[in-house]
This record gives sequence, C-alpha cells and structure tokens, in this order.
Amino acid sequence: MKPNPYEAVPAVLLETIDETPLIRTLRMRLDRPMPFRTGQFVELSLPGVGEGPFTPSSSHFVTETMDVTVMEAGFLTEHIHRAKPGDRVGLRGPFGSSYPLTEFEGQDLLILGGGCGLAPLRSLFLTLLDEAEKYKSITFFAGAKTPQDCPYKDAFLVWQKHPKVKLVRAVDAVPPGEAWDEEVGVVTVLLGKLDIDPKNSPAVVCGPPVMMKFGTRDLLKLGFREDRIYLSMEKKMYCGIGQCRHCVMGGYYVCKDGPVFTYAQIKNEEGIWD
Amino acid sequence: MLIPTDGLLTFLEGCRKKDFGPYKNVFSPVWPADKDSPSAILALLQGEDRLALDGHRATDPAKLLLYGARERVAPFVADPAPSLLAGIKACDIKALDLLDRALLNQEFVDPAYQAWRERTTVLSFDCTDAAPTCHCTLAGGRPYAETGFDVNAARDGDHYYLSAGTAKGRLLLDLIREHVRIDDPSGRVPEAVKARRLEMTARVEAQSAAFARSGDYDRLRASPAEAWAEESRACVGCGACTHICPTCYCLILNDESQAAEFVKVRSYDSCQWHGYARVASGASPRPRMDERFRHRYLCKLVTMKKEFGSLGCTGCGRCTEACPGGIDFRSAVRRLMERSPSGRPAAEAG
Repeated sequence: MKPNPYEAVPAVLLETIDETPLIRTLRMRLDRPMPFRTGQFVELSLPGVGEGPFTPSSSHFVTETMDVTVMEAGFLTEHIHRAKPGDRVGLRGPFGSSYPLTEFEGQDLLILGGGCGLAPLRSLFLTLLDEAEKYKSITFFAGAKTPQDCPYKDAFLVWQKHPKVKLVRAVDAVPPGEAWDEEVGVVTVLLGKLDIDPKNSPAVVCGPPVMMKFGTRDLLKLGFREDRIYLSMEKKMYCGIGQCRHCVMGGYYVCKDGPVFTYAQIKNEEGIWD
Repeated sequence: MLIPTDGLLTFLEGCRKKDFGPYKNVFSPVWPADKDSPSAILALLQGEDRLALDGHRATDPAKLLLYGARERVAPFVADPAPSLLAGIKACDIKALDLLDRALLNQEFVDPAYQAWRERTTVLSFDCTDAAPTCHCTLAGGRPYAETGFDVNAARDGDHYYLSAGTAKGRLLLDLIREHVRIDDPSGRVPEAVKARRLEMTARVEAQSAAFARSGDYDRLRASPAEAWAEESRACVGCGACTHICPTCYCLILNDESQAAEFVKVRSYDSCQWHGYARVASGASPRPRMDERFRHRYLCKLVTMKKEFGSLGCTGCGRCTEACPGGIDFRSAVRRLMERSPSGRPAAEAG
C-alpha cells in the first residue's frame, strides 16, 4: 500500500516571530521528521480552515524544527497569523524540485529576491551558509517595499558581516519618519553593483511575478545564461502532487516539475509571469 | 455467451436484492421515476427503478460514482464490499481508462478512487441509440467498448451477447451462468451484433459529419485570441462542463478537521472559475473568461493527450448538453481549428 498522499503529518507551533506588519515566521516541530531539500515546498494546513503551499524558510540541515514565513494575503493566511504557540497544524510534503546546490559549488552565486520571495531564499541562504566552504561567494540582493516591510531584520545585519557574503538591500520607497541607510529603488537597480562574472555564475530569482520578470530580463542583458537562471515559480500548488491541476503552466506542473525551474526550461511556456 | 435479455434483468434484480452474488450495491442508469425525463441518471438501484441499460450514455458520467463530487480522502478507510456498475457506455469506459492513468499511477494513488475501482465490477453496454450531442467517433471512439470493461453486453434482439475483459469479469460471467439460462455458451460474436455496431458507428458518424475536423489539435494553440473571445462569448463560467465531463478530475482539498483529527475532503474544482488558478496575492494566469475557456479546450484536446496518450474528450457530448449558454463543443472546436493560421485541411492547402 502506498502512503495516503492526502494525509498530513501533525506538528506543533513552537513560536511565532513577527517579521513585518504583514509577514510572520512560524517555527514548528513535526511529530515525524520531514526532511526536505531547500527550494522544495510543503502544504501547511490549519485544522478546520484550509491548506496552502509554503516554502520552508529554514535551512534544510535543520531537522528538529521547520520554519515557514507567511505573508498575510487572504483567508488562510489571516488564520495562520492568528495561530498561537502550542496550536496544532498539519504538513504534507516535501514537494517539487529543489535548488541544485551541487551546481553552485565553487561558483559565485547571485541571489535576487523581493518581498515574500525572501522566505524561500532565506532557506537557501541559510543552507548555503551551513556549508559556506563549498561556495566561492554569495551575492544576495534583497528588496522590499519600505524599510518596515523588510523581513529578517536582525538576521540581515549578522549575514552582512559574513566574509563570503555580499548582501545589499533596497527598498522601493522610504516613507517619512522611517530610517534607512541602504539603497532606495526597485531591487533590480542593485544589479548595477554586481561584481561577479555573469557568464559563469548561477543566479537564483524569487519574488513577486513582476520582479521575476524584470529581474530575469536584466540578468539576461547582463549576460547570465538562460540555463543558469533558477526561478522559483510559485503558482497555486493546491495539492502538491500533480493531481489538482491548478498549477499547470503549459506542459509543466509547477508542483512536480518545479517550483524551481531554469529560465531555459520555461521561457516558451505561456503566462509564466502572470 | 448469449443470454436472454430478461435473464440479465432478473439477474441484476437478484444482485440488487442480494439474492445472487457478493454485491453490496448495484448501480445503473435509470429513468427518473418522478418526472418525464428524456435522460437517464446514474443511481443506486433500490427497487422499482426503470433501468436504462441500452440506449445511449446517461446524463451522469461514471466519474460521479467512482470519483465523487465530495469524498473524504484522509483519514481513509476503504469499504471492501463489492459493488456492480451496470449500463455505462463506451465513452465512460474510455474515460475510466484515462482516470486510471491520472489517479492510479507510479507516483500517485488516490485512495478513494482506488477503493472504488477495486471493489466495483463494471458491466458496460453497447449503445443502441445516440444522444443528439454524441460524437464519440470524432474523438477516435466507437459507440461500443472493445476493452476496458469487466464484462460487456451487446444487444442482439432479445438476447445479450456477453464477453469478459478481466478476471473480475470472468467471475461475473460464472455468477450469471449459475442463475441465468445460457442460449449459446460460445465466445462467437453474433453477426447481428457486428452489424448493429457498424450501423451505430455510421449513425454517430452521420450526425457528427457537420463537425468533422482533423485530429491535429496542436494547432488550436495558434487560433487567434479573437476566435477564443468569440467562441466564449456565451460562456458564463459556471463550470457545468467540467463537472459533467467524464475525464475532468481537478480537485480542491478541503480541511475539515475537528479537534485532534486531521480530515481532508476532496471535491471538484473547475478551471472555468475565476478563483481556480488565482494565488493569494491576487495574481492569476487566466483572469479573463476567454482565457479560461481556451485553457479547457487545450487541456481536453492537447495537454491531456500529451500527458495520458489519449484525448481528454471522449465525445460524449455532455458538456454541450449541460451548457446554459448553448455552446456546442463540436462547433466551437471546428471553427477554432479552421481559424488557426495552419487551419485549412491539408487537401485544400495543397
């Protein structure tokens, strides 16, 4: 008998961390371990409310607990934000493709992300730092709407000091009264600060569709290779197992064939940026 | 083997009453008792039913039973009690074959569908009539099944010619032999059955002739946006077509957990609905109705073919029958194919 693909592994919510007014990280301990590879996603269910796809935001080397970072955007995420430590949740997964870490070994890696796309990138980044000796350098360009919309505020300050890391942040705008001494502008303006060789370097992009679209366009202009631009295509992965068909994108199921695709794989599919 | 028609009816009634066989439930298309309906519906036999074993396919697809509109899938406990599904037609047999590939494969097994499939013996019937929207021959099918059933019954005057396709089917034939008079035990297909099959095929072909099209559905991709907008003008996005389609299986997984137990209930979704592919941020790959309409046509005729090796359309015509906007799938496909830049038939293009 195959395991029932619809069955969730129970977990307990250990703590919640407010990242921004709309973004919150949940740390969970699962009743049974769910080893994943960074970039893969899970289906998180809130009993009696619903279920949705989220990418863990913790390192895949951390096995006792799992973090997910959730932006309040709709019915389910509103309820997830109301959850309290001690509450029971359910997890199915992990599902889909992961970031190809072996391809990144010995390379100068660029990570480009914005908004809630920083959640999967935090997982990638922490996983890379756990084996930092394997990578030549990590350039991390992160964007957010305003200073208060930047998640992982304290962590960023620590990461910026890492010898192998060049981490620069940009915000679209600084409202009056908010302090900010880093860059201002959409995250792609940071590409002007790039000091690695685009021809041989892998780049990972994750963020809102419009950022993915223009980020990819700019990377191609800079000379990054189509098959070395890794995109996290987050569509509506409702079931996670290629059955519900909601995330179908041309000939691909984002949940099974993705969510991590190279640009070369999907460039001819319809509606990838919608 | 050849058995009298009333013998088969007596046998099915005996199964329903649990006098014969192991079947806990017997399902069949029936004529609704409470109203004068031209269409049979799929029902659990309860006595006093008027069975619709012959004729054409019922309003309901077999999917409605084997892949229910709403089923608890976790925790899941299979009901092992055997059931008998009699009277479905070739278009539904083909659809079950596609659902088997989609729902019971190497990577994935839907536990509820698997349980239904394992416990159900399928007794299909040749079509002896065609609904006005039937067009199985355009979808590469025939109004009779040659494979995919456990047992098939082909009408031959006041007899049925029965043939088994599986071990489960051979058990059913053994059981029938125990209780019904057999008039010809040989496996020879009666000439009259062959003739009727040809005649029914010709009839469906004739009523489909006006909608004839080439099988090169890939070119639908190139049909212009205006063509899709025009064809979908009458579409209100109700989702009736996908719910009634024998091969549509898109699902929503609802969490209906109470207290300590995680309960997952699967129900039908429809790609024709606005929220179907929309993500929490509000982004949607297909915000407009004509885009969702196109998505369905491409899924049925291109995507499913690529994925499962056969069209997602069996030509049952239920979507046309169910559409409140009066959209005829056959006409729409024909016009869309014609409007594709490579749309002219090869003979004309030459």
